[in-house]
Amino acid sequence: MILLQIDLLTISAAALLIATFAVVVRRGFLDWLSGYRYQALVLAGVTAVIGYITGTWEIYVAAILTLAIKAVIIPKVLLRVTKGLSGQLSDFNPYVSVRSSIIISAILVILAYALVQEMFANSRLDSVARAYLPVALSLFFIGLFVMVSRRIALNQIIGLLIIENGLFLFTVSLTHGLPLLIEVGIFADILAGIIISGILLSRISQTFDSLDVGKIEQLRDD
Amino acid sequence: MVAEVPVLAGIAASSPAGLLIITILLTPAAGGILVFLSRNKRAAELVTLVSATLVLIQAMALVAAVLAEKQISAFGQLFYLDSFGALVLLPIAGIGFVSALYSINYMGKQYDRNMVDAKQLQRYYQAINIFLLTMLLVPLSNNLGIMWVAIEATTLVSVLLIMLYTKESAIEASWKYLIIATVGLSFALFGVVFFYYANSTVQATNTQSAMNWTDLVAHAKILDPNIVKVAFVFVLIGLGTKAGLAPMHSWLPDAHSEAPTPVSALLSGVLLNCATYGILRYHIVAIGSLGQSFSSMLLVVLGIVSVGIAAASIYFQKDMKRMLAYSSVEHMGIISIAMGFGGFLAIYGALLHIINHSIAKPLMFFASGTASQRYGTKAMANIRGIIQTMPVLGVLLLIGAFAIAGMPPFNIFVSEFLILSSGFASGQYLAISIVIGLLILVFAGFMRHIVRMVFGSPVESLKMSYSEGGSLMEASRLEKNQSYKLAIIPMLILAAFVVILGFYIPQQLHTLAVNVSEIFGQTSSSGIGQNHGGVT
Repeated sequence: MILLQIDLLTISAAALLIATFAVVVRRGFLDWLSGYRYQALVLAGVTAVIGYITGTWEIYVAAILTLAIKAVIIPKVLLRVTKGLSGQLSDFNPYVSVRSSIIISAILVILAYALVQEMFANSRLDSVARAYLPVALSLFFIGLFVMVSRRIALNQIIGLLIIENGLFLFTVSLTHGLPLLIEVGIFADILAGIIISGILLSRISQTFDSLDVGKIEQLRDD
Repeated sequence: MVAEVPVLAGIAASSPAGLLIITILLTPAAGGILVFLSRNKRAAELVTLVSATLVLIQAMALVAAVLAEKQISAFGQLFYLDSFGALVLLPIAGIGFVSALYSINYMGKQYDRNMVDAKQLQRYYQAINIFLLTMLLVPLSNNLGIMWVAIEATTLVSVLLIMLYTKESAIEASWKYLIIATVGLSFALFGVVFFYYANSTVQATNTQSAMNWTDLVAHAKILDPNIVKVAFVFVLIGLGTKAGLAPMHSWLPDAHSEAPTPVSALLSGVLLNCATYGILRYHIVAIGSLGQSFSSMLLVVLGIVSVGIAAASIYFQKDMKRMLAYSSVEHMGIISIAMGFGGFLAIYGALLHIINHSIAKPLMFFASGTASQRYGTKAMANIRGIIQTMPVLGVLLLIGAFAIAGMPPFNIFVSEFLILSSGFASGQYLAISIVIGLLILVFAGFMRHIVRMVFGSPVESLKMSYSEGGSLMEASRLEKNQSYKLAIIPMLILAAFVVILGFYIPQQLHTLAVNVSEIFGQTSSSGIGQNHGGVT
């Protein structure tokens, strides 16, 4: 039984990392979105597994919320707001090339594993936390990297969502879930944030005729 | 049904003051719904004004209750208000009220000039109510998770308020604000989870309350210090972003200057306090766990960097509202430095500074907003001779500027003086001398800009902005709409406080501030047992 658990943990952790790299290697928004959706699906599964191992019903609720909001609603919202922007959805000229992006992301993953070793040197972590914490931090770092390395405003949303997935995984694996009330509050914040950023995106493309964040730089002190 | 029972039980178990916590939150929520249902501009204005007034009255009653009972709570320990929370709550309600009052004139004029349409105006008043709700939630929540959700919600609502205008600069500002603040707050959430983890590992039985601040403080001494260190750094980066501490402040001048002026006043005057308040709550826990030095050092360093960057930007600034926004960075820096110094005098000074800044800054925003409506520009170079075109406004602007720059006999001078002398008393000579140097630069910068705007010859600049604006007929139409009497009233209220607090600190304010410095002292001096007694 223990062997089975460990296998499940390792395989799902690897699946999450693969989903994240799917976003890093692609150039088009639709690919990123399907990468993100895949990641959210795995995350919901992972959450359910943690719920099964720890035997807490709140985590099952969180898993269902993850499935409904992150794997279904958020991609739908994003697809809807980007429908009219079809010409501007691919990033052919990122600040960091795809090849270097992969290398940097790999380094970030290694860094995340080292950091977890360092930070929790004195604490007794259970097998769930030991398997997922480094992955959670990797998602956080890679999310940050995606946000700063690409030119298209959509990337900042995708990066933010990856960060948020990392945060969620971190929470669930370290503390076995926040109180449900707070979890629901966080989900509500994310959903509202995505809707608002969707509205902003369409205004940006209308006003600036482009989603290139490099061109949105008028406010400065000079 | 099942969900209702604990809620009812929670209400039944609350004291009258606890009930007040619930009603003060319900008031702006109801206001938002009523505005949504309202059909015309007048009704929306009136509903918002009434809801803000009711919030202010209830906030005063809550502060009175805190003065009497030291701390009140509702829904078990989910909501909780002590003297520290009260000092943050009162400015939120007060500035909420004056902003609602000022909005009627300011947004009314924007409407007359077709800057906003009726639908946008309705959305504005709706969002103002919800913005008030989310800000009130911050000092009222004991549960740190709820506090985080509330702070993130303030970001979302204020982004909606900034993107009310559909011009390019407003879109850019709201995008930057949304992205940077959300990333920052995700750092903060990491910190919150770390604190929760540290606290839930020390108590085996009841992890439900492990997210409550009171619980965290009670266990401060036995938390794993390594985790607390990491957690505090994450929280400081995250909430520091939201509080506008440099170098995470880059979104702030954009967002604060592009927002509609009443919103700028709320953002600068009280929203920054909410984030600073959050940092300081964790600072108290960190002091208890790690001792004074770790978190204090970080606060002083970030504070000095903030004051430095702000001083340079203020001196060379061209845009009036951006200057005020940088001034907020400066004052948040000063508060952070003072809290880092620690000790009774510094904490007392910092608390006064929080109050003083949240009175003086909205005064400046209101005055500059009305001035730039009249001159049709925010560029300081094109605003000249306010004292001749609008004499009362000119005087108010001068009072506000002197206060913000730290001139005696106004209120900010008092708190800055207390903070600086506490620094000398505790031997922080290097930090203090840097800060004094920077404050002189800020003063010079402010005077340079304000004196030129208030005095100087108005005719030329008015002509210039009119010729930019278009035809002569439009100019005369604007002339007719220049009544700003209703906008002056909130400014007069604020200016009165700016002057009064320069001479005299009310007994109630004094008591609250003394109580808060006891809260700061409780983790560092006394043991765990006493905290438990205070909490339960």
